[in-house]
Amino acid sequence: MAFVVKRLLEFRDRTAIAGVGYTPFGKDSGVSTLTLACRAIMAALDDAGLTPDDVDGLATHRVGDSAAPSLVGPALGIHDPHWHLDQFGGGSVSHAVVAQAALAVAAGVAETVVCYRAINARSEFRMGGTGRALPVSPEVQYQAPYGYVAPPQQFAMYARAHMLKYGTRAEHFGQIAVTQRANAAKNPRALMRTPITLDDYLAGRWIAEPFRLLDCCLETDGACALVVTSAERARDLRRPPVLVSAAAWGGGQSHLSGGPSDPTVTAAAALAPRLYGQAGLGPADVDVAQLYDCFTYSVIVQLEDYGFCPKGEGGPYVASGATALGGPLPVNTHGGFLSEGYVHGVNHIAEAVSQLRGDAGDRQVPGAEVALSTAQPGYVLPATSALILRRG
Amino acid sequence: MSDPPAGAWRPDRDSAPWWERTGREEFAVQRCDSCGTARLPARAFCPACRTEGWHWEAAEPAGTVESWIVNRRAFAPGFAVPSVVVMVRPDAVPDCLLPGSWHAAREPVGGERVRGVFVPVRDGPTLVGWEPVVR
Repeated sequence: MAFVVKRLLEFRDRTAIAGVGYTPFGKDSGVSTLTLACRAIMAALDDAGLTPDDVDGLATHRVGDSAAPSLVGPALGIHDPHWHLDQFGGGSVSHAVVAQAALAVAAGVAETVVCYRAINARSEFRMGGTGRALPVSPEVQYQAPYGYVAPPQQFAMYARAHMLKYGTRAEHFGQIAVTQRANAAKNPRALMRTPITLDDYLAGRWIAEPFRLLDCCLETDGACALVVTSAERARDLRRPPVLVSAAAWGGGQSHLSGGPSDPTVTAAAALAPRLYGQAGLGPADVDVAQLYDCFTYSVIVQLEDYGFCPKGEGGPYVASGATALGGPLPVNTHGGFLSEGYVHGVNHIAEAVSQLRGDAGDRQVPGAEVALSTAQPGYVLPATSALILRRG
Repeated sequence: MSDPPAGAWRPDRDSAPWWERTGREEFAVQRCDSCGTARLPARAFCPACRTEGWHWEAAEPAGTVESWIVNRRAFAPGFAVPSVVVMVRPDAVPDCLLPGSWHAAREPVGGERVRGVFVPVRDGPTLVGWEPVVR
């Protein structure tokens, strides 16, 4: 174990994110996920001052919908990637993909890896529970027969458990939606930029109680890409490097007995000490956090499990204004999946990079040096992952 | 409740005997032959002692309400709206959280005691739903 820890410390700040790229976000891209992937990758490479000829690694995560590295490589004339990863999974593995790319670079397997996610989550492959084939998984048989099939239902179930145990209220969920919309109003990329009030939130139609419309993220068409390379090489590129200070993987909850079974505690609680330890930092050092917000509730539970407030106090913490721009811990400064758009985790990392480079415009957190960016915290699919990034 | 959409789900090779038992209105758990730990849903290995030997054991279909949702839109075809899905912590396997249908005119209450009800389904295994002990 000591050996592992020592090697992890050697990993600290060895790699960097040197470029980010986006397609526009929308409800109907009109193009394939392959096209979206190529566009985001070209934008990210341009941001870094690189071309596809510099790329020797490709990685994505997907649930059967994004373009595979085996397709994107030939499409962009990258014919002999030294490393690639086609990771099955949803938001819970989003940060693991970048972490694995960083490991590949640190190990010398590849020098420049592009991580991307392309998604037509509105026009083609909706995750909200309509018109989608159920995944092939043994767990489905204990859910689908009861009409319990979609993420809004599953996260609403966990959210209610938190409400029952800790007194978390609809107004707390609503405050997250309101705060993130205010951030999105300052983000030209964001899909939803009109400010909302708590009353607007409370007037929203029910989706699956206790969730209303504005508890749910935006099913989005779009793509986002990140260029991962060595810290050394990143310093010679076009943009200020953002260092990967720590990366961690963790477990989660499942229907299977024998594992964690408190629905109000996520795998982030066990992961956080490893992550902070690797970076040599603690929650108080985090200047800005991009917390996976497929639904409002997931922000509240992560604020607790990543150590920003005591267990059960995520709701009051948000209500205090702590997570707004100008507060001690701005969260989801781009508007998050709730208001910017949903690129399955990758746009959180891209926003963290933007904040640390100081190019986040009107939503810039002054002097941001350390960012936490997190994956879905391990509900539904028992896996999670997270990154701590630092200004280079 | 309505029938689930055909072909949307099916027992697997581990779980088929469990669903056979629900068809006889039996709520069964697997009991590890080595360490005695009960487990659910069905699978080959005991997560506590990592051995394969086990036997089926009929258990009381009883538990407590951990959470619930009220579906306000149709997430799957054939299901009524609004409808409650409840998450129950079974007494027999208290580290398992099972979703199921809710069989009462009112909504659940957090932590309340519930008992299982067996719900036959056309062309499929009998499901396990839950009703309040105190109606």
